[in-house]
Amino acid sequence: MVKEIERAGIPVVHMCTVVPISLTVGANRIVPTVAIPHPLGNPALSKEEEHDLRKKLVGRALKALETPVDGQTVFEE
Amino acid sequence: MKLELGIIKISDIQFAAESKVEGSTLYVNKDEVKALILEDETFASCELDIARPGESVRIAPVKDVIEPRVKVSGEGGVFPGWMAKVKTVGSGRTNVLKGAAVVTTGKIVGFQEGIIDMCGEGAQYTPFSQLNNLVLCLEPVEGTLQHAYEKAVRLAGLKTATYLGKLAKDIEAEEIRTYETPSITEGIKLYPDLPRVGYVLMLQSQGLLHDTYVYGVDAKQSLTTMIYPTETMDGAIISGNCVSACDKNTTYHHLNNPVIEDLYARHGKDLNFVGVIITNENVYLADKERSSDWSAKLCEYLGLDGAIISQEGFGNPDTDLIMNCKKIEAKGVKTVIITDEYAGQDGASQSLADADIAANACVTGGNANTVIHLPKMDKVIGHIEYVDKIAGGWSGSLQEDGSIIAELQVITGATNEMGFNKFSAR
Repeated sequence: MVKEIERAGIPVVHMCTVVPISLTVGANRIVPTVAIPHPLGNPALSKEEEHDLRKKLVGRALKALETPVDGQTVFEE
Repeated sequence: MKLELGIIKISDIQFAAESKVEGSTLYVNKDEVKALILEDETFASCELDIARPGESVRIAPVKDVIEPRVKVSGEGGVFPGWMAKVKTVGSGRTNVLKGAAVVTTGKIVGFQEGIIDMCGEGAQYTPFSQLNNLVLCLEPVEGTLQHAYEKAVRLAGLKTATYLGKLAKDIEAEEIRTYETPSITEGIKLYPDLPRVGYVLMLQSQGLLHDTYVYGVDAKQSLTTMIYPTETMDGAIISGNCVSACDKNTTYHHLNNPVIEDLYARHGKDLNFVGVIITNENVYLADKERSSDWSAKLCEYLGLDGAIISQEGFGNPDTDLIMNCKKIEAKGVKTVIITDEYAGQDGASQSLADADIAANACVTGGNANTVIHLPKMDKVIGHIEYVDKIAGGWSGSLQEDGSIIAELQVITGATNEMGFNKFSAR
């Protein structure tokens, strides 16, 4: 899906836990997430902490979307 | 470490007034087993049934398959950490009721259990159609949470297998199979010129009822470690998995790991089977990196020339598999991976979720998406309505006439990644 949407000219950020798979399939902008069963959340955190976590992750994804890249790039913290 | 397996062949199971092994028949007192299981207050009911090879019987949804075994001599007991105290197993003698199994069923997750057909097309895909199965249908009391139900079913299976195994404790087995692993230094002295080969056994440990236990320890909470191959034959590793049926390792698989069996067959002849490294398949990327780092480090530490890596499950564990392969190869150790494929019903899609050039020697258990047709069976043990929801099935999989059209995925053990299956291109 990532590749097909990009082929249509729309940049994509792939938010995922298993970065190596994202690299293998050819995503260009990758934001690592928390864990496979809960990529954008963390049941071990309080509701407030989890909200912060999600906001940070989405913020990082939006930043990645605005960033020009030359090839596959992983946007770590 | 040396273990003798006393093979006691079982060709039939019968319900009887007294539980015993006589000749090649396993007699089971139904009420005794029921009472044993119902000691656990999680269960509202427990029904026992027998499914024999060739009978028109379908068992679903299958949770686990367990071979009855008992320690005759040597330290510890079978299924340490569960049915016996935590004590290192894998030495002395263990009697095996070969040809018999305990099969547990229950609608725990429903969509992540499998089917065993005792005859017809489906029977060809599962090795468990060849066994005399004592089937436990276990229903929980209302309000039981899934994880508590899973644990109770897991223990009921182990308990029953232990109960049956004990019936054979004093039987002198006609066939004895001996397995021995020397210490590292002895191995080098004994076989200085043979290639040193290890086995990296990956254990499903994604959590949320996808779990494997080693001596009672949840594998996801463990670092990659080592185990003598014979320890697995005494039940050091057990399955707690509710996951796609075709490529999950049941407890039966762990007891009868064919990679271990085959490596022993060649041990001291054309290779030196050094030992087994057990590693996990966790859901955090850091865990995946750490565990595969440790697999590679242990392969290097043991001075291996080659390693066989077997996977359990599919999807994100493909990454654990490829990480293990890549990192072990980078240490100069040759690898062969054993996996299965999800290549679509037409077989045209990419087989694994991850790949690497280092994975250039691969054994496959088959394409789990292959569509199969299972005829109607005269008798169903368990709950057949889950077939429409089972992984590999779809709404309408269960036909009006009782036959099933679904993917191979639905069959327990069909594409097993230890190679304990019957799918072949030959």
